[in-house]
Amino acid sequence: MDAPLYPPARAFVMPRRLPGLLDTKDTAIADLKAIPQAWAVVKAEIPNVEARVGNEMIKPHLGNFSFRSLLQFGVVKSDALDRIDQKLKALGER
Amino acid sequence: MASDFLSTPRRNVLVMAAVTAMGGIAIKAGAAHSQGRPAAEPGGRRQPFDEDWRFMLGEQTGAENRAWDDTGWRLVDLPHDWSIADQPGQTPGAVVGPFDKRSIGGTATGFTNGGEGWYRKHFRVDSYPSDARIEIVFDAAYLKTDVWLNGRSVGGSVSGYTPFALDLTPYLDRSGDNVIAVRVQNLGRNSRWYSGSGLYRSVELDVLHPTSRVERWGVTAWTSKLENGRAVVDLSSEVVGPEKGDILISRLVEPDGRIAVEVSTPATTVTRQSLHLRGPRLWSAARPELYSLETELVRAGVALDRLVQPYGIRIVAFDAAKGMTVNGERVKLKGGCLHHDNGLLGACAYPDADERRLRLLKARGFNAIRSSHNPSSRSLREACDRLGMFLIEEAFDTWHIGKEPQDFAQQFPEHWHTVIEAMVRSARNSPSVIMWSIGNEIPFRSTDEGVKWQWTLANAVKRLDPTRPVTAGLNGVLGGQLIAEADTARPGRAGKVDNASTVFLDVPGYNYRLEDIAAEQAVHPERVVYASETFARDLYDYQALQDEAPYFLGEFLWTAMDYLGEAGIGATARLKNGAYPIYLPGFPWVNAWCGDIDLIGEQKASSLARDVVWGVSGLEVSVQRPGPEGTFAYVSNWGWPDELASWSWPGSEERMLGVVVHAAGDTVEVHLNGRLVGSKGLGPSDRRRAEFQIAYAPGKLEAFSYRDGRRIAHKVLETVGPAASVRVVPDRREGGAGRGALSYFRIEIVDAQGRVLPDDQRRVDLVIDGPASLGAFGSANPLATGSFQSPHAESYRGRALLILRGNGQRGTVKVNARSAGLKDGRVTVTMA
Repeated sequence: MDAPLYPPARAFVMPRRLPGLLDTKDTAIADLKAIPQAWAVVKAEIPNVEARVGNEMIKPHLGNFSFRSLLQFGVVKSDALDRIDQKLKALGER
Repeated sequence: MASDFLSTPRRNVLVMAAVTAMGGIAIKAGAAHSQGRPAAEPGGRRQPFDEDWRFMLGEQTGAENRAWDDTGWRLVDLPHDWSIADQPGQTPGAVVGPFDKRSIGGTATGFTNGGEGWYRKHFRVDSYPSDARIEIVFDAAYLKTDVWLNGRSVGGSVSGYTPFALDLTPYLDRSGDNVIAVRVQNLGRNSRWYSGSGLYRSVELDVLHPTSRVERWGVTAWTSKLENGRAVVDLSSEVVGPEKGDILISRLVEPDGRIAVEVSTPATTVTRQSLHLRGPRLWSAARPELYSLETELVRAGVALDRLVQPYGIRIVAFDAAKGMTVNGERVKLKGGCLHHDNGLLGACAYPDADERRLRLLKARGFNAIRSSHNPSSRSLREACDRLGMFLIEEAFDTWHIGKEPQDFAQQFPEHWHTVIEAMVRSARNSPSVIMWSIGNEIPFRSTDEGVKWQWTLANAVKRLDPTRPVTAGLNGVLGGQLIAEADTARPGRAGKVDNASTVFLDVPGYNYRLEDIAAEQAVHPERVVYASETFARDLYDYQALQDEAPYFLGEFLWTAMDYLGEAGIGATARLKNGAYPIYLPGFPWVNAWCGDIDLIGEQKASSLARDVVWGVSGLEVSVQRPGPEGTFAYVSNWGWPDELASWSWPGSEERMLGVVVHAAGDTVEVHLNGRLVGSKGLGPSDRRRAEFQIAYAPGKLEAFSYRDGRRIAHKVLETVGPAASVRVVPDRREGGAGRGALSYFRIEIVDAQGRVLPDDQRRVDLVIDGPASLGAFGSANPLATGSFQSPHAESYRGRALLILRGNGQRGTVKVNARSAGLKDGRVTVTMA
């Protein structure tokens, strides 16, 4: 039996991003917030979203969490996120 | 250099060479090597330096100067954590023991305070060779540390959790008094958990040859092959100042001192060697067979430098088809996240305390820990090696974007490499370390800058240790898809679609993403994953996933043990009916209360359930605490319902109580005072859990578990009587007399029949007589109730914990525990 190795890579070149839709599962809340059209969609479905994600515990994590990863903490509800996802689709791929 | 620097007579070098020529034949070493050389002998590495420091809390001007008058400073031994000491101005409801309602850290640090502290230590070096290079080695200090020798700055550290060494040689007084002065600053809001403050880990001196030595953490040992009953261990040793004719000897030594295998070659700046060992004893968590890896730099028959470190021969591999294998055998991770504090002792990293934590966890079936979210102490890591516990070492909680205003993100751009280098180089020979984590829940990890940092950190780790995979704890796979090109990608991943959060991770860790794991595996079948943080309530589902999914390595519970700080994240509360189901703990909550094991080492209800799901126990019973009428129970995500293994609920007579039974069988029965009061079959959807509503009546509650009609387990809860006495139960009858040695005593409130009162809270006073000092005394209560450093404390759930610290003298120690109206508890132990 040979032990595995995890050799380092040679050089960094920024990986090529594939176009993709914004959504509530894989897009960080901070990223949605940085796109005015996207954030408008979020605010329309969760009017008090700033208060919900603005507390001391969650605020530092807006670049870490997506909205769906907050479901289990009761911060948001899945039906609102479903509606947001539908509307975000309309913004097209980025 | 004086010839007595490290003595390896020429004769022994010749013996070593002969052993090398004989291959892997185990030969009684005799005088062939110098393992176990007495610490008192001058010179060499790891000279103890923990004792007789002087400490002063608060800012000082000029305290780095050699002539500073420190006679009024407090005498302390290391490890030392000033944040766990009582705060001045004790005020009920506001300042209680070490806890201060106004603490800048608030719930994050468990309402403890940092500040600035100074340490000074006087020492002499005239017993060492007159030209020796002398380095001071801190296993870590929290947080910003500046060090002076005889008034001259020699360096410092900003990382808080990684070891660092400083060269004292230029400013040493070889014949007089030397003074080390250390300023440690723990300022602002810099941590999301209890960090402690000061020199909370061990400090040592390395006394070295003036020009030639093995580089610090410069030895790597890697078991590259196991085949036909042989092991190949490849070594690479960095040597500083090698001269022609120098020899580097590497050997593996059995616990009984016999040399198992040895190799000797000319020493070069980087010396590469291989050890070929027949019949190796293999390391695993289940059977942690250890060797000592000795490295000697020899010149003209004299050993100039010698390192001894634990080493285990093992090959750990990961792939999606088999999961994790250790020496070819599949192993699932039953893991827990651990913060670094040692409960009542604060952040102090005592070897005895770290070992106790691991023993408690092993007894509950844990085989892995994730050192969250920082590199562990040397003492914890070596306990993992020794006791058999897989370890994930973690570097960061933040990268370039912080979570707290003054956290490490401020230092990260300039100092990230120092942390990675110290973490990896100091721990890469530990068999327990299975993965390197480059971060936990990193904000903005999926931006272009975050992706670049992910690559930078992962590859910095791999340049230092390409033998272990890189991981990180992720709250979801953020950031969409991307493709890395050949020079940038991990092997085999060039041109393939990955996610921004995972693209440069060999083994992604998912925090609280149970529902994502199988779904993402369908898209990325090449992935090997694990749950890097989990809620206790999901334990059955993670076990089920582990049982069915080879690519899923297992879970790391948040957390295995309670810890100080993140106060009340596992809180339970009673809320008024109709109220919004949210509870935000504040002062006096001080510990997280999310551990399976509480702050003093006792099992909580979640641990009892885990015992059954993990196969440690066939049956466990707990009872839901009855709440006031008109209220409902709130349980936080990290919490567990307020349950106790108790059938003592005075005032609840005839009230229906929830009795929760976890059982390995297919049927459970509950009997109250000999009468069957409940029975239920258990199918897969029951998750090994049955709940009964039973009218409370004092007496005996019995549960039985059956499989195929056969009784397989039986458990009894009895109503206890009134408190009658205090009982003192030592972990061991013989404690360590050394000044860093700890002895643990459980303090229990018991009834006339010796049964612990499961929900009792009352003051206990101690009288300690003999050669030991009070290390800590307190309970698991998640609320601030008092000092951890006085002989007075309140029991909680019928228990408290006393930790005694040896004072360097042997003898008999008597512990007398008193509580008003109860018979004293007494015990006598020997400090040897």
